[in-house]
Amino acid sequence: MLRQGGTAFILPMMVMMVLCFLAPLGVLAVASITGPDGQVSLANYRQFLDDSFAVGVLWNTIFLGLKVVAAVTLLGVPIALMYWHAGPRWRTLILIATLLPMLTSNVVRTFAWIVILGRNGPISQSMVELGLSPRPFSLLFTETGLIMALTQIELPLLVLPIIAVLATADRRLVDAAEMLGAARWRCFLTVLLPMMTPAIFAGWVLVFASATTSFVTHSVIGGARLIYMPQFVYREVGILFQWPMAAAISFLLLVSTGAVMIALTLLARHRRLAACA
Amino acid sequence: MTLRLNRRNFVLGSTTLLAAPFIPKLARASNSIVAAAFPGTWEDAFRSIVAPIAAQSGVDVTIAPALAQDQVGRMMASAGSPPYDALLVSPGQTAMLEEAGLIEEIDPSRLENWDLLIESAKTPFGPHVTVEVNGIAYNPETVPTPSGYLDLFENPAFEGRAAWIGFGSNTATMAWVELAKLLGGGADNMQPVFDLLAEKIDWIGAIANSGNAQQTMYQQGEIDVFMASTGNVARLRSLGLPCNFAHPQSGSPAIPVAIHMTKGASNPDAVYAYMDAAISTAAQSQLAEPPTGYVPTNSEVPFTDLIREFVTPETLANAVYPDWAAINRNRAEWTAEFDRVVAL
Repeated sequence: MLRQGGTAFILPMMVMMVLCFLAPLGVLAVASITGPDGQVSLANYRQFLDDSFAVGVLWNTIFLGLKVVAAVTLLGVPIALMYWHAGPRWRTLILIATLLPMLTSNVVRTFAWIVILGRNGPISQSMVELGLSPRPFSLLFTETGLIMALTQIELPLLVLPIIAVLATADRRLVDAAEMLGAARWRCFLTVLLPMMTPAIFAGWVLVFASATTSFVTHSVIGGARLIYMPQFVYREVGILFQWPMAAAISFLLLVSTGAVMIALTLLARHRRLAACA
Repeated sequence: MTLRLNRRNFVLGSTTLLAAPFIPKLARASNSIVAAAFPGTWEDAFRSIVAPIAAQSGVDVTIAPALAQDQVGRMMASAGSPPYDALLVSPGQTAMLEEAGLIEEIDPSRLENWDLLIESAKTPFGPHVTVEVNGIAYNPETVPTPSGYLDLFENPAFEGRAAWIGFGSNTATMAWVELAKLLGGGADNMQPVFDLLAEKIDWIGAIANSGNAQQTMYQQGEIDVFMASTGNVARLRSLGLPCNFAHPQSGSPAIPVAIHMTKGASNPDAVYAYMDAAISTAAQSQLAEPPTGYVPTNSEVPFTDLIREFVTPETLANAVYPDWAAINRNRAEWTAEFDRVVAL
């Protein structure tokens, strides 16, 4: 029998982490501070940060992530609440509908959005039919279209954690609040929302991380005029062959998105919020 | 049933699990190679036509899709242990690979079909498998025939209907260089193009990230015009779409496509067999037919009806062969400037 079972069981995971994550990260860090003459230099970082266009791309990427987080929350929380109020059959249906997109490749989902957002797609056609638009229009290569696609693609990352919390939540708490005279909104704000909050924060971290790094969706739905950090990195690597610069940009992306994610995680662990859960 | 997990079993199980991803590689036949091909039509054609012919010589070819610039990038990233045994690139990338010492000069005597090649297709680093002729693809049902690249920025019929891409694509780069020439610039002066783009950015229908994305948009009716090769047009037609090819009045940019052997290729004999298959009469005859319609470099293969519709000996004679040395010199700067001009 294993005497120190815990350590032995996590060893493969730790080895995997070191080999597949920490080691490449180290290589990336070294590459990012390597100057053209092989000397240690911060020139790549300086060059990026001195370039207002490049800094603009970094901010746009962070703002895109925040916009997607907001859109996913607006759509995902009501879906989770529907799950809470639904009977067993509807719950299964909502769960399957949430999980189903995750079983399809991100690339396939992205290409499906080309049809949906296009001039001849259902959104454009519906708006024309309803008289809300005088002529067909395309949402492809627009930020609105990109946010719509990312919202659908990232939705399960928020909905599933909330559903996981709600599935084990004690319904008697809501019953008690209602019996004590709390209206629906008050029940939601004082009972359900505090229970859901840690899951929402966890979902935000996942959605933000995924939305800011989704190269395929940025590239296919956003086109070449909406430039975000992943495309910027790809350009440096694949077209310009400036790897030290690409490494520096990747590190800046990692740090900036990491900072937002750490902030969200700390918020989720906040004493008052944690006490609500 | 009880599972007895002792330390020995645990270590054995973990090692097996960690080794699992490498097992297929170990099991791969020794006579197999990895050959890069452009994604889409090229990849399909090489997998379904060239690879089976190479297989007749006992060579197992795995076709890996990658754009020409990506192939160069990946080769540079792992020069000591090349990710491909054979590459499929154009002269611009050949020059970069040659300069970086990443490709091998070949021994023509190892290729049975070498003598069947037209003279211009014989190069020290490998054979040309086709000459891609580029121009303008358009939908004849929705827009008139464009007379040239400048027409797309001047004729109101093309306002909001044409798609372009940046300098990462060879097809687009050649079109931009031709446009620069028409505007008084050239391969060493792209400024007139950037000025035009800045002025007419809202005139352009879309700026996509790749040629494949453009074709997808064309299929969806999002755009009616894009810079394309004759092969792209043939492919769209094979899908039942109305699509014509227009030769720009300034001349159609032409670009040979070559196979190279990477330095450090795992199995040079197999690479020679693959090259030989790609220039064989059997392969090129099939590649000349729809949906690919590739112009043959094997002198025994006649131009098919499909090719003759797009390319005649006269068009090839009048084709424009870009200055790839100048393009390579400026490509990085153009790419950076292009992003700045078109970014929203």
